[in-house]
Amino acid sequence: MTMPIKIRESSPLHWALRVVGVSALAAIAVYFASNAAPSTLGKITEACTLAIAAVSLNLLLGFNGQISLGHSTFAGLAAFTAGYSVNAWHWNPWVSLGVACVLCFALGLLLGLPALRLKGPYLALVTLAVAFVWPTVARKFLQQTVKASTLKGMRLRPPTWTGLANNRVDRALFLFWLSLVLLVITYAIVRNLRKSRIGRSLVAVRDNETAAAVMGVNLPFTKTVTFGISAALAGVAGWLAAAQLATLDENSFSILTSIKYLLALFLGGAATLAGPVVGAFTYFFADDLLKTNAPKWDFLPGPLSKGPVASFLLGVLVIVFVFIAPLGLVGFVKAQGRKLAVVVPPPLRPAPKASDPTAHASPAPAGEVE
Amino acid sequence: MTPERAPLLEVRDLVAGYGAVQVLTGLDITVAEGEVAVMLGANGAGKTTTMRAISGMINRKGTITFRGEALTRRAPDEIVRMGIAQVPQGRGTFTDLTVEENLRAGAYVRKGSGIEADLEEWFGVFPRLRERRSQKAGGLSGGEQQMLAIARALMSRPKLLLCDEPSLGLAPIITQELFDVLKRLNTEQGLSILIVEQNANLALRIAHSVFVLETGSIVASGTAQEISNNDAVRTAYLGY
Amino acid sequence: MGHLLQYILNGLARGSIYSLIALGLVVIYRGTGHLNFAQGEMALFATFGAWWINDHGFPLWISILLAALGAFVGGGLIEYSLIRPAAKKSPFAVVVITIGLFQAFNSLSGLLFKGAATGLPFGTLFPDAPSDFFRLPGGVIWRYENIGVLVTVVIITVLLFVLFQKTKIGLAMRMVANNADSAKLAGVPTNKVLMLSWALSAAIGTIGGCLVAGINANVSLGTMFGVFLLASAAATLGGLDSPIGAVVGGLSLGVVESLVTNYPNDWWGSTYIGADTAIAVAFVIILVVLLVKPSGLFGSTRVERV
Repeated sequence: MTMPIKIRESSPLHWALRVVGVSALAAIAVYFASNAAPSTLGKITEACTLAIAAVSLNLLLGFNGQISLGHSTFAGLAAFTAGYSVNAWHWNPWVSLGVACVLCFALGLLLGLPALRLKGPYLALVTLAVAFVWPTVARKFLQQTVKASTLKGMRLRPPTWTGLANNRVDRALFLFWLSLVLLVITYAIVRNLRKSRIGRSLVAVRDNETAAAVMGVNLPFTKTVTFGISAALAGVAGWLAAAQLATLDENSFSILTSIKYLLALFLGGAATLAGPVVGAFTYFFADDLLKTNAPKWDFLPGPLSKGPVASFLLGVLVIVFVFIAPLGLVGFVKAQGRKLAVVVPPPLRPAPKASDPTAHASPAPAGEVE
Repeated sequence: MTPERAPLLEVRDLVAGYGAVQVLTGLDITVAEGEVAVMLGANGAGKTTTMRAISGMINRKGTITFRGEALTRRAPDEIVRMGIAQVPQGRGTFTDLTVEENLRAGAYVRKGSGIEADLEEWFGVFPRLRERRSQKAGGLSGGEQQMLAIARALMSRPKLLLCDEPSLGLAPIITQELFDVLKRLNTEQGLSILIVEQNANLALRIAHSVFVLETGSIVASGTAQEISNNDAVRTAYLGY
Repeated sequence: MGHLLQYILNGLARGSIYSLIALGLVVIYRGTGHLNFAQGEMALFATFGAWWINDHGFPLWISILLAALGAFVGGGLIEYSLIRPAAKKSPFAVVVITIGLFQAFNSLSGLLFKGAATGLPFGTLFPDAPSDFFRLPGGVIWRYENIGVLVTVVIITVLLFVLFQKTKIGLAMRMVANNADSAKLAGVPTNKVLMLSWALSAAIGTIGGCLVAGINANVSLGTMFGVFLLASAAATLGGLDSPIGAVVGGLSLGVVESLVTNYPNDWWGSTYIGADTAIAVAFVIILVVLLVKPSGLFGSTRVERV
C-alpha cells in the first residue's frame, strides 16, 4: 500500500468513514448535553449561531464570489422581527422564524440587485454601508415603536413534548439542541445547493461571469437569488440570537458582527463546506479563551481590564493564522490530509459497444483500496 | 549565422514555467551583436514564456548571459538597466497615461540629459505619435499603440530589444510598416532585436538568424536562408 | 439662501477630512487593488501618537508631523512584512490581514494610551474661540477652524497631485496603477512603489486623524470608525482608483451630510433628523450613483478579457 491511500467515492469504506465521523460528532454533542454546565451549553449555542451565519455567508462569498459585509443587518432584521412580533403581538416564535426568513430573503434580493452591477471592492463597501446604517434604523425603531432602549428577546420555552421544564437549566439544554438542529439544517441546505446543478452554476459565476453566462447560466437570477437565500439563512442566525439573548439593542448587530462572520468564515476556509462551521467554533472559543485567560498587562499604561489585551491578541492571532493557513483550517487540514488519504471518484464504466452487450455489465470494483 | 559577430545574449538550458506547469524544458539560443533574431513557434510552444524568462518576469533556471554578465538571478528592473527592453505581447501600453508620459515612462531607468532629445528623435521616427503626444494612449489605434510600445521600449536605450508577437491583431499593411521600422532600427542604429512571431514569412525577411521552438525547446536553428530551405519548417510555418 | 451657503461651508470642512482619508484608501487601491480596512484605525493609532508627543511638550504641529513621519515608516513596514507576503498566498488573505490590523490597532491604542477609551483632550489646530470667524453677506459665518481644515486638506491634495503628475516617483506610481506588468518591464521596482503607497497612505491618514481630533478637541477609540466609513463611502462614490474622485466624493458627502442634517430641522423642528439619518441618506445617494456608474463617478472601467 502506498501513500496516499486512495478511497473510492461512495464505496463502503467511504461510507463507513462518513458514518464514523458523523457518529463521533453526535456522540460529542450528546456528551456535552448530558455533562456540560448550562453556561457552557450557552456558549456552544452562541458558537452554533455564529456558525449558521458563517455558513450563510459562505454560500454567497465562498461559492458565488459576492462579498457581503452586510450580513449582520440580515441577522439584526430577523432578531428584531422575532423579538418584537413575539413580545408585542404574541406571535408563535416558529411563525416569527418563517416571517423573519422571508423578510431577510426579500431584503437580500433587494441588495442583490445593486450587487449585479458592482464588482468586489465596490460591493464590499456598499454592503459595509448597509451594515453601518442598520444601528440607526434599529435605534429609531426602539425609540419610536418600542419606546425603550432595548428590545426583549423571545424567551423561547421548550415545547412540552421535549419533557423539558421552563427553567434556566432546561432552557439552555433546549437551545443547545435547537441551535445544533438549525445548524445541521442550514449546513444541509447549503451542501445540497452546492452539490446540485445550481451549485455548479454558482461556482461558474464566481470563477468567470462571462463564461458562465455564455454557458447558459442566468446571471441576474443566480446572483440575486443566492443573495436572497444567503440572507434568509443569516436570518436564522439572527432569530436564534433573539431566542437566546435576554435583550437586543441597536449595537447587537453592528459592523463588528459582520466582521466576526467574515473572520469565522476565512479562519475555517471559504468555499469549503465544513470551513465556516470549523471556523466559527475556532473563532468563538479562541475569543472566549482569550477573554477569560488573557493577561492584564499592567506594565502598559492603558489597560484597565483584560478586554483590550484579549482583543489585541485576537487581532494578532488572526494575522499570524493567515500566514500558517492562508486557505483556512479546513484547507490546511485537507492539504495535510491529502498526503495520507485521498477520495477518488469511482472509475468510469466503459461505454457499451453495440457488438458487446456485456460491456456495461462489468461493475466497478467496489470499495477497492489501492 | 554569421560567425564573426560576438554573442550578445546567450541562453543555455533554460527551464521555466508557471507554478507547477513547466513550459520551457531546456532551451538554448544565442543572439549575436547587431543581428535580428526571430523565434518561430506555434501557440503554446513557449515563445512568450521565453521572453518573460529573459526579462526576469517569471522564475527560471539555467543560464542567461547578456554581454558576459549572468542575469538569471536579477530582477526585472535590473535587467532593463543592463540594456534589455521588452515590448510585451498585446503591447502593454499605459492606457491611462498620455503618449508623451508613456515615452517618459520608458525612460524610467535613465537619468537626466538626453531624454528630451530622444523624445524628439522617436517623434521623428513615428510622426503619428507626435500628433497625439498629449492624448491618452488608450485612445490610439492598435498599430499606433504598437509603435508607441516600441518607442517606449527604445526610450530606455536598450542594446537588445525583445518584441513579443508585434504583428498580433494588426492589419497586414500596418504589420509591413512595423517590420520596416524594425529593419531600419537594426541597419541604421545597429540595434539587436529578438522577435517572437507567428507571421513567419514577414519575420524571415528581416531576420539574420532563426530559431524554431516546439513544446519548450529549440528543434531547429540556422540562418534565415537555411531555415527557409528546411522542408519541415517550411511546411509547418511558411505554408508552402 | 444664506442658510444654504452656511450649511455648505460647514459641510466642506468635514467633507475635506473624508476626502483626505479617502485619498489614503485610493493611493493603496490604485497600486495593489486592496482595500485597507485598517486605514481608519492606523490613523487613530498615529493620532494618539501625536497626542503623546504633544503631551511630552512638543508643539502640536510638530507632534503631528512627527507622527505622520512615524506612520509613513510604519505603513511601509506593514506592506513589506505583512501585506506583500500575504498577497502571494490567497486573495482573501489580505482582507483578513487588514481586518486583523483593524482590531489590533484599535486595541493597541487602548493598551498604550491611558484614558483612550473615554477620550483624551486634543489641542486645537486653528483659532476656535466663539468669535473666530469671518462674516460673509447674508449673516453667514465662516469659522477660522473650518477654513483651516479646508486649506490644510487643499494643500495636501495639491502636493499629492504634484507628486503624481510632476515627479518621477509619481509617474512610477501611476505606471504601476495602470499596468503593473508593463511597469516592471519598463524598469520600475514595483515592490518599492507599493511600499511607498502604503507609507504615503498611512501618513495622509495621520493628518486626517489629527484634523478630526482637532475639530472634536478630543480623541478616543471610537473617533475614526465613523469617519473611516464615510471616507470609504466617499472613495466608492468617486471611484476607488481616482484621486480626483476621492476629493469630489469626500467634499460632496460632507455637504450632503450637512444639508440633510440641517434643512429638515429648519422646516420641521429642531430634532426631526439627526446626523446618523443624514448618513443613511448619503448612502442611498451613493447607491443610486453606483447603479448608474458602477465604478464611481471618476473611476475607470477596465474591459475584462475572457
